This record gives sequence, C-alpha cells and structure tokens, in this order.
Amino acid sequence: MKPIRFSRDTLQFPQKDFDMVKEGVVSLGILTVLIVAAAAIWGAPFRPAVTNQQAALQNPIGIGQEVLGDLDGQGGIASYGPPYNNGWHGQAQSVQSFLGFSPQTWWGTPYQVNTAQADVLTPLQMLATASHDSALTAALHTYKTASYTQQQAWTTAMTNALGKATVRNGQVLLPSGHYGPVALMVNDEINLAKSGLLSGALDRETNGGVYRWNVQNDLLFLQGQVLPNIANNINMAGGQWGINHDEQAYPGPWWLTPYTFLYQIPPWSTGATGDQTAAYAMGLLFVLLILVPWIPGLNKLPKLLPVHRAIWRDWYRHLEKTNACGQCPLRASCTKEFSGHTIDQQQPTEMVPSCYQPDATFAYNMNDGLRSPSMMPLRTSTD
Amino acid sequence: MNWTQSMRQRVSEKLTWDHLLPSEQPVYVSSLVYSFGVFTLSSLVICVASGIIMSAYGPTWYQDSAAGSLLRGVHFWSVQAFFFFMTMHLVGQFFMGSWREGRALTWVIGAVSFGISVVEAFTGYLSRGDFFSQWNQVQSKDAFNGAGIDGFLNILNNGQVYGLHIAVLPVILIGLVGWHLIAVRSKGVVPPYQARVLTKEGRHS
Repeated sequence: MKPIRFSRDTLQFPQKDFDMVKEGVVSLGILTVLIVAAAAIWGAPFRPAVTNQQAALQNPIGIGQEVLGDLDGQGGIASYGPPYNNGWHGQAQSVQSFLGFSPQTWWGTPYQVNTAQADVLTPLQMLATASHDSALTAALHTYKTASYTQQQAWTTAMTNALGKATVRNGQVLLPSGHYGPVALMVNDEINLAKSGLLSGALDRETNGGVYRWNVQNDLLFLQGQVLPNIANNINMAGGQWGINHDEQAYPGPWWLTPYTFLYQIPPWSTGATGDQTAAYAMGLLFVLLILVPWIPGLNKLPKLLPVHRAIWRDWYRHLEKTNACGQCPLRASCTKEFSGHTIDQQQPTEMVPSCYQPDATFAYNMNDGLRSPSMMPLRTSTD
Repeated sequence: MNWTQSMRQRVSEKLTWDHLLPSEQPVYVSSLVYSFGVFTLSSLVICVASGIIMSAYGPTWYQDSAAGSLLRGVHFWSVQAFFFFMTMHLVGQFFMGSWREGRALTWVIGAVSFGISVVEAFTGYLSRGDFFSQWNQVQSKDAFNGAGIDGFLNILNNGQVYGLHIAVLPVILIGLVGWHLIAVRSKGVVPPYQARVLTKEGRHS
C-alpha cells in the first residue's frame, strides 16, 4: 500500500469554541451596513460618456481632423493592423512583436475596420441618401472615382488647411485652396456629428440589426483625438497611471498598480511593444504568485520573516513557556515542515506532536471556552 | 470499481461536519488576520447580490435613476472592500506560509481566484457605461490585442464584455471560491510554524 504523507491534523490540536455560522452572519451584517452607508454618503464615480455630437459642437476642427485621418490613412486605426485591418495599403503601424513573437496577428482581422469606408464614406452615403443631397452624392462619386494620388493631394491640402482654419458661429472657415470634394465631405460629416446621427451610423456597422451591443467603430472614431484630450485634462493618460485611478477623489482599481507601474518605466513606457511585454510581464508575475509553494527560497521566506510570530504570538508564548517543541518527538520533521515524512498505513506511527497534547491546553488559558481535545487516533492526510 | 461508492466514501472521509461547519477551532486561531477571509467572502456576497439587482433592472437603470445610482454605489464600494480584504487575506496567508502540509492546492485556487477577480472587476469598470469605460476600453484594446487575446475578445464589444462580467466570470469565480472554501475546510487552517526551543543555556533558539 502506498505510504501516506504525514501532516498535522487541525482537529487534534487543543480546541476552543467557535461558531462559524454566527461569524459569517455577523461579518455579512457589519459589511452590509458599512458598504450601504458608504454608497449613501459618497455615491459612486460616474462621468457621462462622451459623444461625437458633443465633440463636434465643442471642437468641430478636431472632428474634421479625425475624419481626414480616417480618410487618408494617417489616423491610428486606419493603419493599425490586426485585428482591425492589414494596415493602410499594407503598412500596419500597431502590430506588436516581441522577438518575432506576435500573437496579435494569429487571428487575422476578425473585427474589420476600413476607416475610410466605415467612418467617412458609408455614413456620408447614408446622409446623402436620407437628405436627397445631390451635391454630397456628387462629391462622394468624385472622390471615389479619383486616382489615389489625387485623393491624397486633396486630403493633404485639406489637412494643412484645417491647421489654419477658424470657427465662426460653429462653422469651420477654411482658407482658399484645392480641396476637391473633400471640403464638402468633411464639412457634412462634422454637421452629421453635430446632429447626433453619426454615432448611430457607426454603431449600425458592427451590429447588423436593431441591437447595439458592439460599439467598436464609435469608440475607435472617438479614440483618435476626443477621448485622449479629455483623459489628458483629467490625468488619466497611460503615462499618468490612467487606468489605476478613477474620477475625482474616489479610489480606483488600485489592484492594477503593479501593471500600471510598468507603463511609467522603460522599456514599457518607451518600447513599441510596451503593451505586449507589459501583459507578458504581468502574466509571469501571476504565475510566480500561483507557484509560490514550490519556488525555493520564496516558499521558505515567511518562516524567516518574524510576521508569523506576531500572528501566532499567544500560541508561541505558551509553547515556549513549556518548551513543548523542545520535547516534541517530531521536532526534526517539523523543522522540515514534515517534508518526506510518510506513514505506513499498515503500521501507523504512534508518535504524536507535542502541540496536540492536552496538557498544553490546560496551561493555555487565554481563551474562554477552551476545552481539551478528545483522544482521537492519529489522523493522516493522503496528499 | 463503483464510482458512486468511491465518491461517497471519499467525501464522507474528507468532509465531515467537523470539517465543513466546525463548532470548534484550534486554539492557535487567534488573530485579526483570520477575519480577512470571511470579510472577503462577505464582500463578495454583497458584490453578487447588488450585481444581480443591477443586471435585473439593466444598465440604463443603474446609470440614470436614483435607486440605480445607489445600487451602483453599493456595487462599487463592495468591490473596493472585496479587493481590500482579499489582498489582506493573501498577504496574511503568505506570512503564515499557508500552503504548508498539503495545502498547496488551496493556495493555487486562491491565487487563481485573485486573477479572475481582476479580470472580473475590469469588465465591470467597462460596463459602467461612462467616460471611464470608454477611455479604458480604447486604452486596453492595445494590450489585449498585443497579448494575442484579440482572437477571442473584442474589448470594444459591450455585449461580450457585459456577458463576461455578469455571467461567465462570476460563475468561474464563485466556483473557484467554493472550491477554495472546501479545500480550506477539509484541511483546516494551517498549523503554526515550529516554536523556538530552549537551549542548554536556557535561551530560545
């Protein structure tokens, strides 16, 4: 028969009265009162979601720049790469590859986004159809049938012009230039956003029905300029420990501190693969946490540190007063945390650790309701 | 071999009432550290209860109504309490070396539960439906994509994120916590390290 590994049986230690159910109920009651009180007094953080409409009303030039970036491939998502696309004309800018290892690319492009089509041409085509806008229909036709070189010439001129544009009465005023159909397209999309209908146009692209589960394209449109600008103003950017804190003075997800810390220091704060390597670094640390019981040194650290002596101070005070461990027949094995100590089930050992002894209990008078353990046979553990 | 008999025998040996619902405990269990586990569990109960009410009424209710805002507050503070006590519990158990004498699996289940809780909380932050959700969705997409999780998870898909938060991850987490509790109860709380012994000179070593 296979020998069984020895471990001390907690039921054979001196026992004291304990009411597990009462402890659980009292704990739940206390925490419920405290948490409901905290919720009633302080509430919870909430900053209303940002919409394209708000952004267009407050900063129409910013929306115009976003539209142009999506149209000419300069925008971050236009050239992102998997899982959204294969980059702009084959040039992907946001594919992370650590020493040639790039799982980001393994799945292809499951969440396809062609920003020119999705963010600009399709919403404008819907607008033109809905409003019988022949000028917009003609502009879209002109743009789509022009050569790529011509398209780039228009968008580049428009991008430069937007840098010098002004806003009067909510309208974007451009210096004169050769923008082709792009000026009308950009202006109409700004107006579409101002009306509040742009989000609906973007949301319908990733849902295929009346439901609106997937807000991917709406968020990707906002992520170019609108969201980062707001986040910077309230210190929520990545380099500002963004994900680690919340609104105002509320506590945030502070348990992410080790993760967000990485983004404050090189190579994670500077490298092109910062996100990928930060994720792997955290994965590695998590595996180390799981494997603590088997990591040499780390698994013996708590024995060396005196914290356990504070936690079990009353227990140690008594054992040391009676020198119980000095007289223990299992002392050598206990020193090694019973590693390698096995029991033959055919002939169970009669040796009992001193800490089981009832005489230890009688001298141990710190607890009310203390009682000596019943003289049970030595129990064993089978793992 | 009769699997049913074998299971009955194993369960009845490993999980007696003395293990599962003890009315006594070893005298060395005498520290505030031991309360962190039950506080963590109590916080989780409040997280789950408030979350069930919130999901029953739906996101617009907890975003816009007064009662919904209060429940969102209860959910928020219960999560803060849950992580606070869980972290204290983890640190306390580390200093007690609580994986000793056949309890390594208990530690592993607890650590995995911590990891699942982090993902669960993150999907919760994304389900708030406010600016914080928007910002963290677009920020975190690069990390999820870069790590290769993009094949499974589109973090910008609220339907998927919300489903993970209110169903998939809670089921996994509650299952792990239940397993952790049974593991703790079946082995009992870890006995202390060896005490110091008196030397011939009358000193402790």
